[in-house]
Amino acid sequence: MIELSELQDAAQKAFPADTLAPARDASWQLIAEMGWLMIDLPEDLGGLGLGRDATTMLHVEMGRVLSRAPLATALITQRALALSETLADKAGWLERTSTGTFVTINYDRRRITLDGRTVSGTLPAVPDADMASHVLLCTDGLIALVPLDAASVTVRERPLWDETRRLFDVTLADHAIDPALVVAEGAAADAIAATLREDMLLGIAADAIGGAAAALDATVDYLKTRRQFDRPLALFQALKHRCADLKTRIVAADALLWARAADPAATSVQFGALKALACEVFRFTTQEMIQLHGGIGLTEEHSAHLFMKRAMLDFWLAGGADVLNEAAGRAALAA
Amino acid sequence: MDDTASLETLRADVRAWLAANAPHGWREAEQTHAEFAASQKAWFLKLVEGGFAIPHWPAEWPGGGRSLAEQKVIYEELARADTPRLLLSFVSTYHAASTFFECATPEQKAHYLPRILQGEIWCQGFSEPNAGSDLAALKTRAVREVRDGREVYVVSGQKIWSTMAQYADQCLLLVRTSSEGAKQAGITFLLMDMKSKGVDVRPINQIQGDQEYCEMFLDEVEVPVENRVGEEGKGWAVAQATLSSERGLTLMELAYRMRGAGGRIAELIRKAGKENDPGTLAEFGAIMTRVESACAIADRFIENRLKGEERVGDASIVKLTYSRVLQDFALLGLRLGGLDEQVRAPIVFGDLNTGNWMADYMNSYAWTIAGGSDEVQRNIIAERMLEMGREPKNWVL
Repeated sequence: MIELSELQDAAQKAFPADTLAPARDASWQLIAEMGWLMIDLPEDLGGLGLGRDATTMLHVEMGRVLSRAPLATALITQRALALSETLADKAGWLERTSTGTFVTINYDRRRITLDGRTVSGTLPAVPDADMASHVLLCTDGLIALVPLDAASVTVRERPLWDETRRLFDVTLADHAIDPALVVAEGAAADAIAATLREDMLLGIAADAIGGAAAALDATVDYLKTRRQFDRPLALFQALKHRCADLKTRIVAADALLWARAADPAATSVQFGALKALACEVFRFTTQEMIQLHGGIGLTEEHSAHLFMKRAMLDFWLAGGADVLNEAAGRAALAA
Repeated sequence: MDDTASLETLRADVRAWLAANAPHGWREAEQTHAEFAASQKAWFLKLVEGGFAIPHWPAEWPGGGRSLAEQKVIYEELARADTPRLLLSFVSTYHAASTFFECATPEQKAHYLPRILQGEIWCQGFSEPNAGSDLAALKTRAVREVRDGREVYVVSGQKIWSTMAQYADQCLLLVRTSSEGAKQAGITFLLMDMKSKGVDVRPINQIQGDQEYCEMFLDEVEVPVENRVGEEGKGWAVAQATLSSERGLTLMELAYRMRGAGGRIAELIRKAGKENDPGTLAEFGAIMTRVESACAIADRFIENRLKGEERVGDASIVKLTYSRVLQDFALLGLRLGGLDEQVRAPIVFGDLNTGNWMADYMNSYAWTIAGGSDEVQRNIIAERMLEMGREPKNWVL
């Protein structure tokens, strides 16, 4: 059994804090070599079966360095494959996805129509479709793999403000699902879809917490170094208190992150509420990061804008705070 | 013996005991301060009898010797059963007790500790009008003299923010015995009988109409020398023992109670017919998630203490998280309640999250200011966790 702290140490060595937004393809290769693509896969399916604690730890660390590699997405789609009872060559799929083959999924609501097993429409917000072999199509009562090189599939990148991630629209035109690629149908598909949504929300929350912690670290370091009026800016109480508030908000959100990651009974509404909290903390931390860096903070020379833009994308991916908090409020009202 | 099974057994025991013994309707029954004090005392003595009042005391005391994990279970159940919080006996069982256990003589321990379990109430005489966040600046003077053939400290000065001092029998008192050297060096720690001649206690009327704190005027009060804790001039160190008494469990209990009070906001939403208003629901969801994070950070703080991994500043983060959420929780209630909340309604003494939203809002300041203000917590977090450096001393304006 690998200790979480060992995993964290390994992650921080492989992805050092001083190299922000390392190149995607090299990162992906490193991730595969480190064995992280089999970290969540149950042991009886050939993985390490370390569960949500371990994946959360990795996603926090990937958030910290503004990783470009789609680790969270890969683990989400792999979980769907692992839970499948219908997928032909399941063992082959698990073997391939745990050694570097990438299957992606949409992070925004699909806009598709299903006619029997023929699908048309668009899957929006699909990460790194350019390096994926397949996209996982999740719709009511059906989960299936769609090969991205099929003639009926068009992939179009939508350039983002966030330079550290890439999102694509995947459009299907009368795409006939290959029966061998059906992952789940009916109630089983809906149950898997719910689990994937939890993973997605938890993964983004972890990314946001890691990003926020790194943004605050960088800001505090800057304030300790930058001198005005013959003293480091860090000595001004007006600035200290803002940093202390950021620290407090990050640590409190982090505590909730780990409480939810460890709670097998946590609901998708609770994961959504966590995601909303974590992303608001990240967003606000980056707002303060730019402000507290002064002039340098609004130049492209400095990395502050990378944090801010990633925070904004995290905030909106898989649902913004309004929608997620409304669901949390509705649940609390019913409690 | 902190395995899950034994903790769950304890939980079942506490729950069963509370089902039989927890008071009902106590909020309604406390219409006057006297009724509040009587209700508090009765509940404390009942808890002593049940063995759940002093789980943090050493094992030789009945009901003591509980591990932190066990204490956590007890407080979770007390919060769950919505019992009165132990306000009146808090300083006695925590601050006074931890002072005695860590610093007192065997004679002092033998004299005072059993009386706490019989309901003797302690208050704290630390803060002064000009020594708040800067406590070591305190000026209340104590001069050692022989009067009527015995050695006493003659104490004169003014104390403030003494919680529940109007009900107290005894006082943990910080006095200045010397003005030489560093300001911490001349401080001495005394135990003062509140019935002594020259002690004048005046409750402070708080903005919500409660009287949780008092001013204390001391005019040549004679405190026997044997009532000193620690050496003369070494009171600052003793005070640290007093103040280091467990706060994590209190904050955990309070955060859990706030979670339980979420239903009060739900009531308001229903009353206003806003059950399907997305904006209102989103605000409710957001504040309840922050309450959850306050619970989670308090839980983590206790877990870290269990593992011996507490770091400097952790307690400040727990307190600051709680105080900010508490205030915003009350503010949401106020906004949803609208103009109706501006009509003065009876308060529940000493309680938070009561659903009297103006009173709750005003009482939230007790947590943003008392026990180390939010600003002091921010200094601790910035200077000691983030290592942003200490404020330069000796300002000259």
